[in-house]
Amino acid sequence: MSTVKSKKLQVGTDATSSNNFTIYQPATPDGTLRIGVGNADSPTEVGRFNSSGYVATNAPAFSAYNNTNTSFTANTLTKIIFNVEDFDTNSNYNTTNYRFTPSVAGYYQVNLSYKMETVANRTVLSIFKNGSEYKRMIDVQSTYTRYTSGSCLVYLNGTTDYIEAYGLSAATLSGVANSLNQFSAYLARAA
Amino acid sequence: MNLYEKIIALYPNLTADDFAPEGTIQLQNDSDGKGDYIKEWNHPTLAKPTQEQLDGVQ
Repeated sequence: MSTVKSKKLQVGTDATSSNNFTIYQPATPDGTLRIGVGNADSPTEVGRFNSSGYVATNAPAFSAYNNTNTSFTANTLTKIIFNVEDFDTNSNYNTTNYRFTPSVAGYYQVNLSYKMETVANRTVLSIFKNGSEYKRMIDVQSTYTRYTSGSCLVYLNGTTDYIEAYGLSAATLSGVANSLNQFSAYLARAA
Repeated sequence: MNLYEKIIALYPNLTADDFAPEGTIQLQNDSDGKGDYIKEWNHPTLAKPTQEQLDGVQ
């Protein structure tokens, strides 16, 4: 029985390099095994394994909350301010316009929860895609509403598509600044 | 007086059901410092108020 030791192993010998893959150890070993598209001389990393298993290297994920209130005028769809990031792996979330514009095409799981205290008023939370309502997260008219939440899956093209969180209340009020609020998304499946 | 209240003052017969998300009038605020605005006005009988009309509501 023989042992083969190598830093790179090219799989495929097609004349078009993008049809081949390379399994390799990075130039500076860091305990990971990389998988790249292309020939062994210049693979482009698309994934890696570490001691815990597979790690998706370019899958965007972000989570944001708000430390400032959002003012809601009655019956006016209002973009909810989420101006503080918990994390933003690919720098795809903008804390100025509160948009998530992912750099990888695919299907994204989107989560939204928000403290919008209302008394006997209609409360709506929605995800907007490219400026229009895409999915209604919640639409309630209760005697007292505190936290509202919802989730959806949305396809985003990885270049221009973006999502935002909007809310509506039947009465003028101020949404509550709270680090427990969240607007988050992650790549569930690449396109 | 906010935009919603001004529109109600101009057209007192309008109700909350006439406004978004299901109604024919959509007011929106993009939290960009520019305030509330009329994004869509598709009411079948009432004309979209002009800025002059809105400014005239006290």
